[in-house]
Amino acid sequence: MSGFYAIINKELTSVRKEKTIVLAILIQLLIAAFSSVILVGLMSFYDPGSIGQNTNIHLNVGVVGDDGGRFSSLIKEAGLKATAYASVDAARAEMQAGRLDAVIVIPASSSGVVDMQLILPQSDSRATVVTMVLKGPMMKYENYLRELNGVHVRYTGVEGKESTTYEFLYSFILPMLMFFPAFIAGSMIIDSVSEEVENMTFDTLLSAPVSLNAVLFGKAAAAVFLAIIQCILWLLLLSVNRLYIQNPLPVLLLALIISAFVTFGSGLISMFFKDRERSQFAYSILLMTVAGASLVVNPSPVSLMARLAMGDARVGMLEASLYVLPLLALIALFCLASKKLLAHNV
Amino acid sequence: MGRDIYAVGVSPDGPYIGDGRFDVLTVDHATGMQMLHDGSVDLYMDGETAYTRSDMRSQYAAGALKKYLENAETTRLIEQYDINLSFPLRIEVSYLSNAASATPIVTAAPAASPLASNTSAAVKEQIGELQNGGNKKFKAEFVSDNEVIIPSLMNPPIPLSQVVLAFLYIVPMLFMGIFFNSSFMEEKTNRKLNILMSAPVTPFDIIAGKMLPYVVFSLAVVIAMTLMLGGNVLMALAIFTPVILFIFAIYLMVALVYRTFKDQTFFSMAAITFVTGYLVLPALFTGINSVSYISPLTLAVQMYRGESFGLAEYALSAGPMYLVFGLAVFVGVRIFNEEYMMGFGPLYRKAADAIYLAINKNHVYVSIALLSLLLIPVVFMVQMVIAILSLMVPVNLPPMVFLAALLSLCVIVEEVAKSAGIATLLENKRIASAKTLLALAAASALGFFIGEKLLLYLSLSVVSNIMLIEALGSADLLIIPLVAHFVFTSIVLLLTRKLGVKYYALAVVAGSFVHFLYNFAILAQEMGAMQ
Repeated sequence: MSGFYAIINKELTSVRKEKTIVLAILIQLLIAAFSSVILVGLMSFYDPGSIGQNTNIHLNVGVVGDDGGRFSSLIKEAGLKATAYASVDAARAEMQAGRLDAVIVIPASSSGVVDMQLILPQSDSRATVVTMVLKGPMMKYENYLRELNGVHVRYTGVEGKESTTYEFLYSFILPMLMFFPAFIAGSMIIDSVSEEVENMTFDTLLSAPVSLNAVLFGKAAAAVFLAIIQCILWLLLLSVNRLYIQNPLPVLLLALIISAFVTFGSGLISMFFKDRERSQFAYSILLMTVAGASLVVNPSPVSLMARLAMGDARVGMLEASLYVLPLLALIALFCLASKKLLAHNV
Repeated sequence: MGRDIYAVGVSPDGPYIGDGRFDVLTVDHATGMQMLHDGSVDLYMDGETAYTRSDMRSQYAAGALKKYLENAETTRLIEQYDINLSFPLRIEVSYLSNAASATPIVTAAPAASPLASNTSAAVKEQIGELQNGGNKKFKAEFVSDNEVIIPSLMNPPIPLSQVVLAFLYIVPMLFMGIFFNSSFMEEKTNRKLNILMSAPVTPFDIIAGKMLPYVVFSLAVVIAMTLMLGGNVLMALAIFTPVILFIFAIYLMVALVYRTFKDQTFFSMAAITFVTGYLVLPALFTGINSVSYISPLTLAVQMYRGESFGLAEYALSAGPMYLVFGLAVFVGVRIFNEEYMMGFGPLYRKAADAIYLAINKNHVYVSIALLSLLLIPVVFMVQMVIAILSLMVPVNLPPMVFLAALLSLCVIVEEVAKSAGIATLLENKRIASAKTLLALAAASALGFFIGEKLLLYLSLSVVSNIMLIEALGSADLLIIPLVAHFVFTSIVLLLTRKLGVKYYALAVVAGSFVHFLYNFAILAQEMGAMQ
């Protein structure tokens, strides 16, 4: 057993020496940074309310010809300011003077169709923000006009929080962060095994009192260990950004299983091809294929990860543990194949 | 992605929910409410009424369902009613003033713009777009393209689909870059390059010759993709050529500097992440923020949205990439010798050697000035990455502290860029007197100053009014007198000379500190003036 730990230690030291782990973590830091930028971006794109909160935009909209004040009241409901004007020119002049952010002109409707006019500021970004913020009131007004036309729109009472960012975080960013370390682990084991094969250092290693499988498992354990450390760092980093993950233990367990799966799988690949170039190539192709195919399983690892992190009550430790089975099968195959595949090297 | 993430209970007369995100259970009212209460469903839909809990998860489920039902209703209205009844509100958009800030070099064909006189045509067109999948989806999604807004047919202005499209262009380029890199590494480790080196060809021939097939193939992919998507081939080439060259510049450096495959794997990964982030993220903010013009992909997004862009925007995004490529090839040619390529050493050692080799010892002053000038785009990109990284810091810090931290990092990058070349000369004992040293510092400061001014001119014409940029020193702060640059660089170099090259890092910190104080004083003054 001490030989096993010695191998783990050797692998970890070699990684530390090459500063690769520092780099790997840096890469992920970059992704984290980028993803939080994306998150903020998405939030403002999809949730006009958050534009108001985040940037303190208090839009003032000039309204011309709003008989009955229906549209004005919808604007006010959305937390914006509405000022009524008698003529388009008056409103336009106010906007030119910088006191209005947009002007809406509502003509008297005769046929049930309303051709509204919207005057936006010339700045592209400003105009986009104004349009986004006005979308809510405009949709409500559209539904009001539909009812006037005798068209009933159902389910208008459903109200909730804008979910795009929420879904993006849990079903894309988080699985990506949890699985990325696994990909690094796979790449690492290939480099490590093929290097030993190419340099023919396996013999030297095996002259020590350790078995072939102990050496290989040591390498795999080191890779998986690094992966899981990164995952834990991730969760901490996310919580620093006030993005909290539910069920951290099952989430980490699933991440552990996946990284072990990828590690042993790529270990097999590297023992089969023996040289680094072909192994890495086969590894990337297979990884993409397996990742794609895994989406067919229900729940797939990605969606299970998302649901665990979201705190879905229907999944828990048990569902995560089920993935141990394919892992065990792979490990068994790995043990059986290692002797044969590396036979003439040893 | 995200299958079955919400559990929803629906009464027998409730809506049909055909969306993979929702795991739907049909239950009666009492059971449904009970399940909602004990958390086994996130939302219960009784007929047209939705019942939710107050927790976030239930609220998000409701938000997602609201959006789904809105779309489903829109589809139903399109099928069941005349458009004058179902889409009674049309909003014609006009802009307060048409003063264009940029001179468009390319004016995209108006995407079959609807006639203002008959808004029904616009409704039909937008319904058509909604129903048509395929390539159409990638075009004309932006609200301001459709001069007529139909509220329920309006898409959010996020150019996600165009960004994904632009990203698809990048993927084969990255693969080509990796193949090029691998092949280069292979020949390097097999010592085949040594044989080539002894042949009567110049290093440039070897580098260009090895790179060319991969570059040509990447260009072919760009052309093929653009033809498939119905874009403008010439414009796509103009946009993606600098991107290809930039990617190859990075992979060339990785192949030349690193010796083992292990290093190379990780640096390739780092390069992919960096390049993808640098290119894709800004593009997400197309039309929202003019900082997005630091990435050429923004231009590609605009192309696929049928918008136009100016020459200045093109220069700002593509210019640094061309220059980085030029610099990489130049340095590559200079360091193309066996001793350098096969030598082991930590990264800073390799970088220092590369810089030293790149300097022409017969024209030291010109070399140093040019080096400072050419490093500007690199400095610009690194500062941009720092700025992006800084966005992830939880913004509890007082803005002044935050800005100061950002500024100090950027200042260090600048000081290193200005002094690194001269420091390598010092290390190799190429500089005898303090006088020569100061003269070199002046040359470096001059080169940097000129580069900065060019960049300032460019970025001010594209980007305006962004605090981050100002803080980075690309706006008002950029007009640091030449003398100031000279002083900071001299501090670094004189200290390096005094203490020895070993303490170069310390000298940089000292010089940067003075530089930082100077910048911060100006910034504080300006902020005071603003308030």
